[in-house]
Amino acid sequence: MKDRLDFYNSYKEEHRIFNNRVQRFWAVFGVLISIYTLIILDDVWLFLLTLAMMTTIGAWGLNIVSGFAGQISLAHGAFIGIGTYTAFVLGGNIGSSVLSYGLDMAIWLPLSGIVPMLFGILISPVTSKLKGLNLGLFSIGIVYFVLHIFQNFRTVTGGSGLGRKSPDFVFLGFNFENGITIGNLVLNENNLIALFSLVILILSGFGVKNIARTKTGRAFFSIRDRDIAAEAIGVDLLRYKGIAYAISSFYAGICGALLFTFTGGVEPNQFNFVYSVTFIAIVIIGGAGTVLGPLFGSFFFILMPSVIQEIIHFFGLFEQSSLLNLAQIERLVFGIFIIVFLIFEPRGLWGIWFRLRNYFKAWPFSY
Amino acid sequence: MVELSSLLKFEDVSLSFGGITALKNVSFDVKEKSITSIIGPNGAGKTSVFNCISGIYSPDSGNIFFEDANITNMRPNKIAELGIARTFQNIELFENLSVLENILTGVHRRLDYGILSGLFYSSKAKKGELYARKEAEDIIDFLEIEEYRYSYVMSLPYGIQKRVELGRALALAPKLILLDEPAAGMNNEETEDIARFIIDINEELKISVLLVDHDMNMVTDIAHEITVLNFGEKIADGTPNEVIENSSVIEAYVGSSKK
Ligand SMILES: Nc1ncnc2c1ncn2[C@@H]1O[C@H](COP(=O)(O)OP(=O)(O)O)[C@@H](O)[C@H]1O
Ligand SMILES: [Mg+2]
Repeated sequence: MKDRLDFYNSYKEEHRIFNNRVQRFWAVFGVLISIYTLIILDDVWLFLLTLAMMTTIGAWGLNIVSGFAGQISLAHGAFIGIGTYTAFVLGGNIGSSVLSYGLDMAIWLPLSGIVPMLFGILISPVTSKLKGLNLGLFSIGIVYFVLHIFQNFRTVTGGSGLGRKSPDFVFLGFNFENGITIGNLVLNENNLIALFSLVILILSGFGVKNIARTKTGRAFFSIRDRDIAAEAIGVDLLRYKGIAYAISSFYAGICGALLFTFTGGVEPNQFNFVYSVTFIAIVIIGGAGTVLGPLFGSFFFILMPSVIQEIIHFFGLFEQSSLLNLAQIERLVFGIFIIVFLIFEPRGLWGIWFRLRNYFKAWPFSY
Repeated sequence: MVELSSLLKFEDVSLSFGGITALKNVSFDVKEKSITSIIGPNGAGKTSVFNCISGIYSPDSGNIFFEDANITNMRPNKIAELGIARTFQNIELFENLSVLENILTGVHRRLDYGILSGLFYSSKAKKGELYARKEAEDIIDFLEIEEYRYSYVMSLPYGIQKRVELGRALALAPKLILLDEPAAGMNNEETEDIARFIIDINEELKISVLLVDHDMNMVTDIAHEITVLNFGEKIADGTPNEVIENSSVIEAYVGSSKK
């Protein structure tokens, strides 16, 4: 009996997200370093880090439907677009030529997740019945359908080639533009947006982890791995596929709302087919079906081109080369990275991280 | 012996695929708390019976009752929710999950916290997860697979995989468990282990068992009642002794082994 009790307590311990001292240390350390970085930086790297955090949220969304539940989606960009325009319409400055309500971010941000989620639920009776290639084709159809509407629905999107401006970051009446001064620490708009993104990123991350460690996630995994066996143990396929789409679309919408509010505006063709495929690449590079993979993939995708650029500048490589310009080299190297990953590390960056972590398991506590 | 009531009634079921008749007017009962077996040569229609019961196939005619419910055209997940669990002839484990996760997934139908609860890992979800874990650990103990708890299922030997699949089915806490050739491809020792587990499942866990096999030996040792299929038709039923002595059964088996 006592054995059982010990067991029970140890499960409790095991079921925590950070279930030992080492992990808790690194989690707190990681957050503190992140906050510090986002406070002291104020340059292109701060901009890129913020983009990467926002992109991660979208990648997590795609990972839930494709990596967790195994349902291919080539329409993720469309859901990101729907979230973006929800934010733009609700939050956009009144008086502009496009539909705008000038609402607070505390209203438009949640709704920019909920609206695409409802759209996801609306089409789920179809998506849940399709499989494999058919589902892929259907989702491509969705991308083009939604893109067509974006291009032509001028009052909302500004129309093809023009686009519209984003709302401002005004949260509960506080405009991020004003910045915050604490003692002699000055946080400008960019720092505040970055810190705000970090908060949303952490909340989203806990959401993903919680899905993965509870019944919902296991239902997703079971559908992905063996749908017939999943049904035979009582998993309602249609319901759980619908739920996967709904959660995925929610994340997509939040990502779009933040990302394009941050960049200042958007043109409808942003949400084309290639944009959706980009997210697939991010998830694959990072490690599909894992919790941290999409985070790694997003940071890699957003930061890598600039890192490559820095390296090229640093070594003065290719400066006079007429063969390839800088942007081409960037893309070439990036493409090579993707291919190398697909061939040598199917679990993506997560796989590399996993091996490193096992290598340094208890560091710096053991010995 | 007290006459027990029927848990499952398979009534006059026919099933065909194009021109092939898989089942032809097959009827049998599974009594409460019994080990009932279906035997027959390969292609006799045994797996088709299971697929009809668990809702994967829809019979062309006939009815299937479980307790008081007509489950003939129910969705597989609804049938599972009523308390019927199964294993598959060709192992159908969730291959990217560990042994523990596979078995935890089997607890699914008994966890009643909602999606949002899970998303926020509320105290209700936490309680549910700890309960699921305890249930899964009990099954892991029962099946003696403690050492494989965290192993990914694809890395395990075939016999252990079969046991994990049995564990996943047990995790439903079913009233009836369907086992499709649980001893196929196993050596004598492994077959004895499986037979012992089946008897324990029936006697200790009080779960009724419907067991399919094409090999008579294990079945005649542990089953209370046997139904024999050949070419989709029932050719005999009764206690193991009755069935062994039945001439058409002998013929079907001898005939098929000659092929
Ligand atoms: N999904 C299917 N499609 C076509 N034929 C099938 C299918 N399932 C079973 N059959 C046929 O039904 C007959 C019975 O098969 P099955 O139930 O698997 O037999 P057993 O399990 O006794 O070996 C066989 O002739 C088989 O080819
Ligand atoms: Mg069979």
